[in-house]
Parts: sequence; structure tokens; C-alpha cells
Amino acid sequence: MSGTAISAPTRPTQGESRSQPRHSAFARRRDRRGSAFVSPFLLAFLLFMIVPLGYAIYESLFTSRLIGGTVFSGFSNYSQILGSGMFWSGVIRVIIFGAIQIPVMLIIAFFFATAFDLGVARFGRFFRTIFFIPFAVPVVVSALMWGFLFEPSYGPFVHLASALGFHNTNFLSSSLMLPSIIVIAIWEWTGYNSLILYTALKSVPRDIVEAAILDDTPLWKIILKVKLPMVRPAIVMLIFLNTIGALQLFVEPLILNNYSAGVISLNWTPVLYIYNTSINDAQYNLGAAMAVVLGLVIVAISVTSLLFRRRKGEFK
Amino acid sequence: MTATVAPPDAAEVDLAGSRKERRKRERLEERDGVIPVQLYGLKRGTVSVMTICCVLFAIFTLVPIAWIIINSTKTQANIFGTFGFWFARPFEFFHNFRMLFEDVDDDGTYINWFGNTALYAVLGGVGATALAAFAGYGFARFQFRGSKVFFYIVIGALLVPIGAITLPLYLVYAKAHLINSIWGMILPSLVSPVGVYLMRTYIGLSVPRELIDAARIDGAGETRIFFKIALPLMVPGLMTVLLLSVVGVWNNYFLPLIIFSNNNLFPLTVGMGLWSQHATTSGDQNLYPLIVMGGLVTIAPLIILFLILQRYWRGGMLLGSIAN
Repeated sequence: MSGTAISAPTRPTQGESRSQPRHSAFARRRDRRGSAFVSPFLLAFLLFMIVPLGYAIYESLFTSRLIGGTVFSGFSNYSQILGSGMFWSGVIRVIIFGAIQIPVMLIIAFFFATAFDLGVARFGRFFRTIFFIPFAVPVVVSALMWGFLFEPSYGPFVHLASALGFHNTNFLSSSLMLPSIIVIAIWEWTGYNSLILYTALKSVPRDIVEAAILDDTPLWKIILKVKLPMVRPAIVMLIFLNTIGALQLFVEPLILNNYSAGVISLNWTPVLYIYNTSINDAQYNLGAAMAVVLGLVIVAISVTSLLFRRRKGEFK
Repeated sequence: MTATVAPPDAAEVDLAGSRKERRKRERLEERDGVIPVQLYGLKRGTVSVMTICCVLFAIFTLVPIAWIIINSTKTQANIFGTFGFWFARPFEFFHNFRMLFEDVDDDGTYINWFGNTALYAVLGGVGATALAAFAGYGFARFQFRGSKVFFYIVIGALLVPIGAITLPLYLVYAKAHLINSIWGMILPSLVSPVGVYLMRTYIGLSVPRELIDAARIDGAGETRIFFKIALPLMVPGLMTVLLLSVVGVWNNYFLPLIIFSNNNLFPLTVGMGLWSQHATTSGDQNLYPLIVMGGLVTIAPLIILFLILQRYWRGGMLLGSIAN
């Protein structure tokens, strides 16, 4: 670092402009500086993301046996996972979970985002803050709170249900567990999604909406034909982020299992299955293979959605 | 498609003024952007109906929070035996709070877990933000060999699911002796691809190239330029990344669950999970009031943090990750 003090810098002009072609020695120095800024992150990234992923792939190719220790077994772990229903039943469950939870949540989120954006609800600012609160609640704690509310013997919601005529409702029974978790997930994430949609709606140019109003376009058409298409990229991105999240469902079923033992099987969701296989059963190689398969499923979904966006000309 | 957000306004910070004035200005700006409802041909009634919808959803949102506040004042018997949404005698709030400092059931103390969580969240969050600021600046304002490729790798990392990376981390830790080490929790928290992405976007919008070039011509070194010129302009972006990283570490459950077997190292999430598991297996330990009180004390700091730092998550930064 050169020790010269900075004399009052000239006022910057607004906007971006490329710097001119640089002197080569100067450029090389700049080059090193650029890498220096980026390298601490890249080092941590390499050590705590790339290395573990590589190591998991390596480990997934071995099998530990009671006799003979750990031996190379090629893709046998993978064929065991892909061939057994245990892994796929969990995958199907989280897909069903996502297929219901994500659309319902996004519709509610879009509804409120539109209401706030149009200013058709009073105290919009206040409600946006309230709706966002669950984002600050750790998932473990939300699962604990909802577990108390849903608990079959003393939970207040059970009393509420019987007051409404549904006697002996067990929200945490095997048939209602998934719907209950969907309610919890909607509670957790609607405000966050709504805030992002609201921010996107805000960026729709005002004159477009005004032109539509002057043309006597009915409100529902302004919302669905003018605003919705303009926030489509945000919606696509939210679908994509929420899907990645849904496929990793783990904490809610693990915690709710404490309130209603036996409903959540070891392979209820893929991440739960990875956890039980590797940590509780110490079958690390098999667990590593599952983590790789799950990662690949998620990356495949992400890449497909990105390609889809690119085809639609939305992804730059 | 250009759904770009209004660039986060860096000048906002410098304009300062008292907090009251700023709030007033924000509110006025907000009202300015809204087209009066009547123009859409809507009746006054619609406003009432929509407000009622908001009230209903707000009730849904606040029900669990209200429950946990009310029940933090109850004994175990009253949590089970009395109406969940009203108070009951005896009023045990302070007793329950005191119990958080005691080692119940040999699980470890809540207050210890709270300290751990704060330590992990502060070190992990601040560290992640610092690395993201450096890297975001490097990617936004320098072109060096491989900069494009590295950036695409970082973007690609956004797709890697936490659920799939945690077990691999555990396997590496088993070799590297990082099981039951606080560094095993803190170091991976430093890697925030989202943070890097957000910082690059933010710096691209709010740190003018000309300003950096002018400082270079005046002979300032790159490190000095970063700390004296770029950093102050990044503050709003840094706050958003810090907030997201702190919440990320505070909420993390899977990683600490598998790498810690020593109860004294647990963060809140794992400790609370353990209590909830023990509450069902050992009935009369009076663990339920502790879980309720513990839950309340876990969420209170984050909710307060969010209320204080509202304007950082309100703005367009969250969308920065989406608008592309």
C-alpha cells in the first residue's frame, strides 16, 4: 500500500463507465489486487464446500463391512439407493409437500403483496412488518411452538377443532402430519415471499399502470395482465428457491416426532433418511451416496429451471 | 425483462437527519408512489375487506407468538391444564426465567447455549460479511484472470443444498478433528455465496468506478481505497448481508446437531431440540415451561433486531438476488 494521503477526490460523475485500456504493469498489479480481495472467500469456499463435496463423492464409492473393513465397491451404494423404495418414498413425500405448500403460499403472498402495492389495505406498513416476523423465528422454535398448539391431548387447536364439531382430531397423526407441516411452512415463509413480491411489484413503472387505468382496464386485468407478467422473474426465482428448500424438509418432522412418536419414519424425508442412516446407524458411505443423489436431484431441478428461464429470455 | 429494483440508495445514509425525519420522509415517498385507490374504480368497501383479510392473516401469524408469551408465565401443570390463550395463576414468568440458568436433566444450561449461539452468530455472521464484502468488491471492481469463471462457480454454489453439504462436512471433520470444535461450526458459516452475490450487485450500483480511479490517480493504495472510500458507501448492503448471515447461523440446526456431542457447545436450536426430546421421555422433569420460556428468549432478540433494522430488509436488497 502506498503511503500517500488522498487529496480531496474529485466528485464522481453519476453512472458507470468502463475504465480505459490499462498500462500493462499497472494492470498486472491491479490483477493481483483483485485476486487478493477475492481469495479469502475462495479459500473458505474451497475448504468448506468443494473439498467436502469431493470427499463425499469419494466416500460414497466405498462400503464398510463388519469383516474386511472398508472396501471399494464402485456404484453399489448408488444402485442400493436408487433401487430401494426407502429413499424414493421420502423424495415423493417432499415433492407432494412442495407441490401443495409452494403454490398455496405464493398465492397468499401475491395476494397480500398486491394489496400492499395498490394501497388497498389500511396500515400496509404495519402488516408487512407483522407478516415478516416468522422469518426471524428459528425453524426449530417454530416447530416447537406449533407442536404445542397441535399436540393431541392438550393442544389448544384440538379443543378448537372439537368446539367446531371435529372431535378427536389428531393433527399429528400419520394422515394429518403432512398437512400440519404445510401449515407450519406457510406460517414461516409467506411473509418473506410476500415482501419480495411486494418489492418486485413496486418496481413496475407507474406510467404503465396509469396508461392502463386511462384505458379503463379493470383492476383484475391490471393485476393479472400488467403487473403479474412484470414480476414473473421474481416468481420463477421464488418457486425455485422454495423448491430447493422444500426438498430439504428436515427440522419440522424431526421436532414434531417428539410430540407424536412413531408417526415420522426414519426415511420420512430424504434429509431425515440421510441423518438416520449416517449419524444414527453409522453407515457413512451409504449416507454420503444419498447426499450426493439428493444434491444431484436438486441441481438437476435448478438447472432445468434456469434453462427454462434462459429459453424464455429471462435469464441473463 | 428488466425488473430491476430502484438501486439501493447509498446517499440515504449520508443524508442522515434525525430518525424521525427519515421515517417521515420514507413514509411520504411511499405515499407518493401509490396511485389513489379510487382511480382503479374501487369502492371504499374494498379497502375494508382487504384490511380484514390482513387482520386475519396477522392473527394467524401472531397466534404462536401470543401462545408462547402467555405460556411462559405458567407452570407445567397449567400449560397442560388451562386455556392456552389466557393467563393462569400462579404467575411463574420470573421463576421460569431463572430456571434457564440451571442445568436441568444434565442436558446443560440454556444460558450457556445462548452464549454459544451469540458467539457463533457474531463470529460467523461478521466473518461471512467481511469475506463477502472483500470478494464482492473484487468481483465488481477488478478484472483478473479467472474472475468470470470463479464468479460463475460462486453462483453455482447457490444451488448446493445445505442438507446435502452438511454430512460431507461431517465426514471431513471426522478426519480433520473438527468434531466438537467451535471452529467446525464457525468456519463453514463464513462461506456465504448469497452474500458475495448481493455485495457484488450492491457495489456495482453504489461504488462509482470514477471515485476509485480518482483515488488511484491521487496515489492511494488499493487497501486504503477499499477501507476509506468503498467501505463507507457499502454500509447499507453490508447491513443486509450481516442480517441474513446472522439469522442463517442463529437458525442453523443440522450442522451443529451432527458435529457436537458435547452439550456445552450446543447452540440454542440443538439444546432446545434435546429438551423437547427429553420432555417426552422423562415426564416429570418440568421441562415444558423451560422449553416455552427458552423458545421465547430465543426468538425475542432476532425479532427485536429485525424491528430495529427494518429499513435494511425493506429495501430492494432482498430482491437483488432475484432481479438478476
